[in-house]
Amino acid sequence: MSVGTWAEQALPPSEVAAGLERVRVCRLLVPAPQVRIRLAPGDRPLVSAGDAVLPGTQVAERLRDAAVLDVDLAEGRPVDEPAIEPAAEGPGPGRWWVGADVPPGRLGRRSRPRRATGELLHEVDGRWRMVAGEHRHPIEAPIAGIVREARPGIAIGLTVSGTGLPAAIGAGEPARGRLELASGPDAELRPGELDVGRAGAILVVGSRIDAELLSRARAMGIRGVIAGGIASGDLRGLAASEARQRASLHQLPPFAVLALEGHLRRPVASPVMAVLAALVGREVAIVSDPPMLLFDAPDLALPEPEPDRVRVTHGALAGREGRWAGLGGLRRFAAGVQLEAGLVRFEPGPPVAVPLADLERFG
Amino acid sequence: MTSEPRAFFALDLGAATAAASLIGHLDGRWRLLAAGAAPVETPLEPLLEGLAVQVRVTDPEAFAAIAPREDGHELGTAAWPRLVARSTPPSRLAVLAGARRQRGLLERAARRAGWRVSGGSLDETDTLGLARLALAADVQAILLGAADPPGADERAALPELVALAVAVARRRPELQIILAGSVAEQAGAFRAEGPGEPSRARTAGDALDAGAVAPDSPATAPAATSGDASELILGPDATAGQPEGAALRALLEALRVRPDDARLGIARATASLAFLLERSVETFEVGLDGALRCRARPSGEAHGRVQTEWIVAADAALAPPEPDEHAIDGVLAWSTVPLDRYRLADRLRELRLAPWSDAAGEGALLRVAAARASLQRLIDASPDLGGGPAPDLTIASGGAWAAAPPPVVALALADLVRRPGATQLALDHARLLGPIGTIEDEDERRALLLDLLEDLLAPLGSLILPAGLRAGRSAGRLLVHGDSGTTELDLVPGGLELVDLPPGQAATAELDFRDTVRLGTRGRHFATRVSGGLGGLLVDLRDVPLRLPDRPERRRELLDAWQSALWTGLEA
Repeated sequence: MSVGTWAEQALPPSEVAAGLERVRVCRLLVPAPQVRIRLAPGDRPLVSAGDAVLPGTQVAERLRDAAVLDVDLAEGRPVDEPAIEPAAEGPGPGRWWVGADVPPGRLGRRSRPRRATGELLHEVDGRWRMVAGEHRHPIEAPIAGIVREARPGIAIGLTVSGTGLPAAIGAGEPARGRLELASGPDAELRPGELDVGRAGAILVVGSRIDAELLSRARAMGIRGVIAGGIASGDLRGLAASEARQRASLHQLPPFAVLALEGHLRRPVASPVMAVLAALVGREVAIVSDPPMLLFDAPDLALPEPEPDRVRVTHGALAGREGRWAGLGGLRRFAAGVQLEAGLVRFEPGPPVAVPLADLERFG
Repeated sequence: MTSEPRAFFALDLGAATAAASLIGHLDGRWRLLAAGAAPVETPLEPLLEGLAVQVRVTDPEAFAAIAPREDGHELGTAAWPRLVARSTPPSRLAVLAGARRQRGLLERAARRAGWRVSGGSLDETDTLGLARLALAADVQAILLGAADPPGADERAALPELVALAVAVARRRPELQIILAGSVAEQAGAFRAEGPGEPSRARTAGDALDAGAVAPDSPATAPAATSGDASELILGPDATAGQPEGAALRALLEALRVRPDDARLGIARATASLAFLLERSVETFEVGLDGALRCRARPSGEAHGRVQTEWIVAADAALAPPEPDEHAIDGVLAWSTVPLDRYRLADRLRELRLAPWSDAAGEGALLRVAAARASLQRLIDASPDLGGGPAPDLTIASGGAWAAAPPPVVALALADLVRRPGATQLALDHARLLGPIGTIEDEDERRALLLDLLEDLLAPLGSLILPAGLRAGRSAGRLLVHGDSGTTELDLVPGGLELVDLPPGQAATAELDFRDTVRLGTRGRHFATRVSGGLGGLLVDLRDVPLRLPDRPERRRELLDAWQSALWTGLEA
């Protein structure tokens, strides 16, 4: 596998053929991105706005067996809750409280109300509805940053101290690990090629991920998988697996998936691959809202994308990269469809007309 | 710059496409001089400069006459005036109700107002489920409703629902809360300090007065109110208005759209066209994030008024964010490409991620299938707009048709809008209806439309669609008397006959049926004036409604046969 060699042949910007500005720019890196960890009612934020977090800092607890209780707060007390403004007094929606789980008279065979701790939803006729449960698991910050907001039941917003590499699709809980390249940009890794030696890693697995690879990777303690594409059926399988995990007593570490391009099989773009290659062995993180690979590597010299390099994203030439050779005007393509074209010089050979909308460049 | 601009750009900035037209004032009237489109994420200025260059190269004199100048110097395109319409970004509304029946009514009104909807009722789900729904990060407003007076199945649930909505409003002050029907009486509960009148509550009348969006008058919508924290809006019952639910739908639409919304612009321009042409006009617009159906017909004394009805449906988007089984089945039903449902789902999601990509070859066929499925969902969502005779003019608009050959657009309209009668088909090829519809002054809008009538719409042809044909070898015959002579055709039930009638030509079609059929009215002998277009004259003798074979292979073959006849270069 070779990455990064393209940088040696770059044209100076003044010599790039005209019309390149009409090619869609794919933003390669985003400095200090803002990401979000979604919470549901009953999930407990453990940080508040303005807090600085490090990778691994526990930022919230995810409630696995949420249920609504009818509670009496007459003798209850608030739980020390960092996400609530100190000025807030008394019970209120989103606050954490300790109360008695049922009002007297509705105890059935029990003689005393049980103490319950949970998130208050709302008050009806002097009693509160509380979301509570027994089993919680921690959510850790995937990367260092500053908490922008912590809203119980909604989300924790984080401004990342580092850089993000945007992707098309993300799934799973925020996860972190050391980055490893398990295959080339256009290869497809077979499940049998995974082994436990990769536990704790985030793997770049080539052009596509399938359901079997995901199951095996997760079972082996791999923290995340990055590929060119993932089928929507496999995403549904992952979501079902996540739900089963939440319901089980034995929790596995968080696991995340990142598809850089979309739902179809497609090689990883060379500028993206160059960034990934530069990050090998370093701690990186995957988040899904928005889908992004995060890393904090201020000392790392990342290759600059060439100004005239374009990539075909769709169609018969999908995945191929070449140099911009100018606008091609209105051309007739397959099925007699007339589209604006761009000319791309693939090595070797003369320029080829490609629909302008099927091209992207990196910036 | 001169005080009277002689040229401007009309821009329709959609979810996927930026469509631009250069309009210039020449020979005493406004004319469309150039038009183009590009993905919305690419810079707009190169597209506009390209249009200006196109006019400068092809007609330097015209360009010199219209180009804005200052102190004798020609101004760059960045300084040219612009008339802009934008698609309002889709918003999600959480619908909370005490009973399933009420939830259905509320959701129907919201869906017809262009909202994406997630709903729940206390007889279907518990408090936690409703709380999750209302607190979801993508929710921008909450609609809480009950019948007026509340039904027996709702009464017990109302205190719980109101308490939940009050709590959500406190946690998410950025949300709009709409109380519809009898639950509006509980507005006092939303005051933070306790019972009493809420300080920021608005009635439906207040909300509508900002722009007066009335059911039969697509006027300018009020300014977006989403930034108004904890705003409480008191709305009508879910069944109020004519047709049922129209009052709540109008309120919800006014709350959702931005003032320069492209879809409402298209509705307004459709109404103005109906007035100018003194003909009934129906527009079907399909875009990436939603779709519009608008019907306008002149009414009153000397056709001095126009009666307009429309719906905007987010569910009828070309590529819904999360296509459900129904949406995937719909595309499969119209697809001529043999794909299993999983691969098709992936292709639809790809279309969502990159709507301009893969527009040739198999991608073009899939795009047309997706557009047909969207049109089907739009028609299913608006049964009340489907009654009555076929309109005189049917217009297709929106990005869904951007790469489709115009005759195929005509066929798609014939496949789905199956109202017996004769109608002229046209395409809003430059996407001008939206920007023109943003002109608030009705007279000014009509004057511009009148000038642009010849350029505004690309003629697709005419469609004659009789219903009630009896199966057999021949149902009668057709004579088309045109400038170039007379064409005679045997009318075979179940077939789709094409008569070559180029744009700009008109003809008289005489139809003699063996038995009585419906073609606007019931009869056996008909004569109608038809105009030509890129698809010619389509005489559609297929079933009404259209029946397709159940077997996928047979269905694909049939659809392909109809489509191939109109799709030049499909085999290339």
